[in-house]
Amino acid sequence: MAMAAFETIDTDVAVIGSGGAGLMCVLHAAAADPSLDITVVSKGAVGRSGCTRMVQGGFNAALDPDDSPELHFDDTLKGGAYLNDQELAWTLVCDAPKVISELETVAGCFFDRRPDGRIFQKPFAGQSFDRTVHRGDLTGIEIMGRLRDQMFRLGPRELEDARALDLILDSSGELAGVSVLDVRTGAVALLRARVVVLATGGAATMYRIAAPAREKTGDGVAMCMRAGLELRDMEMLQFHPTGLLAGESRLTGAVLEEGLRGAGAYLRNAEGERYMERYDPERMERSTRDVVSRAGYLEIMEGRGTPEGGVLIDISHLGIEEVERRFPGMVQRTRQIGADLARGPVPVSPTAHFHMGGAIIDRDCQTSIAGLLVAGEDAGGTHGANRLGGNGVAESTVFGARAGDRAAVIARERDLREPDHGQLGRSVERAFAPLGRDSGASPFELTRALKEVMWDSCGVVRDGERLRAAAETIDDLAERVRTVAVPGPAEVNYAWQEALDVRNQLDVARAVVVSALSREESRGAHHRSDFPERDDERWLRYVVVGLDSDGELQSSSRPVALERRRLASKA
Amino acid sequence: MAEVEQATVSVRVARSDAGAETTFEVERFEPMTVLDLLLAIQREQDLSIAFRFSCRVGMCGTCTVRVDGRAALACTTPVERDVRDVQLEPMAGLPVVRDLIVDMAPFWDEWARVTPYLVPRAGLDEPAVIEPDSEERRRIDPSLDCITCGACYSSCGVSASGRDFLGPAALTRAMVLVADSRDAARDERLRAVGQSDGVDRCRYIYGCSAVCPKGLDPAGAIRALRRWRLGGGP
Repeated sequence: MAMAAFETIDTDVAVIGSGGAGLMCVLHAAAADPSLDITVVSKGAVGRSGCTRMVQGGFNAALDPDDSPELHFDDTLKGGAYLNDQELAWTLVCDAPKVISELETVAGCFFDRRPDGRIFQKPFAGQSFDRTVHRGDLTGIEIMGRLRDQMFRLGPRELEDARALDLILDSSGELAGVSVLDVRTGAVALLRARVVVLATGGAATMYRIAAPAREKTGDGVAMCMRAGLELRDMEMLQFHPTGLLAGESRLTGAVLEEGLRGAGAYLRNAEGERYMERYDPERMERSTRDVVSRAGYLEIMEGRGTPEGGVLIDISHLGIEEVERRFPGMVQRTRQIGADLARGPVPVSPTAHFHMGGAIIDRDCQTSIAGLLVAGEDAGGTHGANRLGGNGVAESTVFGARAGDRAAVIARERDLREPDHGQLGRSVERAFAPLGRDSGASPFELTRALKEVMWDSCGVVRDGERLRAAAETIDDLAERVRTVAVPGPAEVNYAWQEALDVRNQLDVARAVVVSALSREESRGAHHRSDFPERDDERWLRYVVVGLDSDGELQSSSRPVALERRRLASKA
Repeated sequence: MAEVEQATVSVRVARSDAGAETTFEVERFEPMTVLDLLLAIQREQDLSIAFRFSCRVGMCGTCTVRVDGRAALACTTPVERDVRDVQLEPMAGLPVVRDLIVDMAPFWDEWARVTPYLVPRAGLDEPAVIEPDSEERRRIDPSLDCITCGACYSSCGVSASGRDFLGPAALTRAMVLVADSRDAARDERLRAVGQSDGVDRCRYIYGCSAVCPKGLDPAGAIRALRRWRLGGGP
């Protein structure tokens, strides 16, 4: 298909993504310099896409005088099995209290209070202090609703229903901007920017059973990869232990919150056994996400699962009224699938939830490309090998804010560049190719095939043989994605958008599989049945992958810098 | 009444293009939501059908459609076992972009007119100390958690008919901010909602409160604003 004429939009700061990281970035960039021209590019509805919106649990911040950033830091490193980038983790815990205060006093959020009127903080798994700030079980709606309201005060240019395709460089290799496709009209624009901030969210949707919102197809990470950036910890993909099983329904994979296990829920296999006895007799169901997920997965794989292919969570022993009072949202969610959490067991399975890996950044979200910042789930390092519940929305908002601060500084220093039109043309041509073909693979088939292979071969428990087979399957799928065909028109064509999504997911999936093959040990979320032990002698290192100049994916590893904390005695 | 289980569901969808297929027989599975119907149609029968969704768990508020005439979130509306026919239309009162996707701009225009963001009072430098069972919070808390899905707008006889009216969602947001002791723009907001396109336009049809997927009561919020407008606040 011939490339249509396109519009050029010049802006100071282009923010790609409108979740917690993206909108916090706008808030901070605008506060730092109200004269900045800021553009938000959002694949879905602004402020109503992505996963910050879906946060149930809450936000970790050391607010109490008896708590401290040091304690929060230690918990975060322990949770991350010491793979964390300590500078990023330290930044997270130091900034989190400031951001909570800002969300309340500037954005207008109101979090749950103690009887004395001060912010209430609840306990959460893996933490030595009660530090999780929340608003009921709808914390994400409060944060995103109020950040969305701030946009009416600040008035950035909003490109809603607009997909960022590729980072575009100038002829000398400097960042010039982003190619953007308007999903409604099918028109392409070149967004020239002094600074580009990527904040699109992770790619956990590439698994058959997955929790995130539909937009999360690894767009930012795939764009980084194609632009030659290095990625770290890509094998570290967190599975939440209790995803809803609802057959063919899209509800499958939706999370039943962590608080259920905290409140005393039992996990049983189809034989009625509380199987956590065999995996973690001390902590039982209250063990960490990685351990509980793995246990459930092994029960299912060894034939002790339910007919639905799950295990059972049961909290009905607390009594109907108590369960309804404490977990109204969760009760409603299970009743929707014909089960009832208040009255009996509900089938659940581990569900792909969060990607710890991503682009390599410094504490101001800067990458190796001048003018390109990355914030939130698109970046790697903060959480190491496993993320604590409550550190996700903290990361998005803390680093989104820092990206905004930094963007305002860079925008004053960097000029707009003239894009390499050849590169721009290739970006657009590649995006439009599926519309020009008469026959070829269906994007929905490819998505389904990718979800199957990732679930079966690169999931909760991995081994070298299956990972190598998965790499081949992904190569085949990548071939087929080059022949995908979608009937026109270009306007509001969600099958075409699916084709563009799956292309990004495949790029990210390949990085996950290659990284998983390379890490020959088990740590945090990454478990190899052929290397079941954690190996601190050899593997206190993070895996780095990136495309070389021939487009081949290369992997290497680097030692974790233990500048703030040495390795504590192994838990 | 005995439940008769249906093997397929007949789905009628309002389409934008003349000539586009409007009726689909969808094989049912259990459990099934209206969103599942749409996804099955898209995957198996008509790649070109246009609808919006994101979170699929009732939190993003972007999948609102009219199901048999009533505005609802597609993702949280079950297709019960005995259902034979379902009719799906876009929300009322908003321009259709394509098929079931509407342009929410008129909804957001109203939202913007009530100054929807907190205007922090002087000295609000740290989180305010406000007891959870204070009168203020008892007034506000049941009206939070609006997901701006537009179901109330679509169901409001005044908003959806294109009359000049701030509408149930924006007025609920205004009520929350007027009641918030941290906010400094109470008087302006009370003036804004007292204009001719404000609270007096409400006809108390209660469509808004009947359809809200989050169980909020916009009609109650509008009643509160009517009272406060005279007394200068809560």
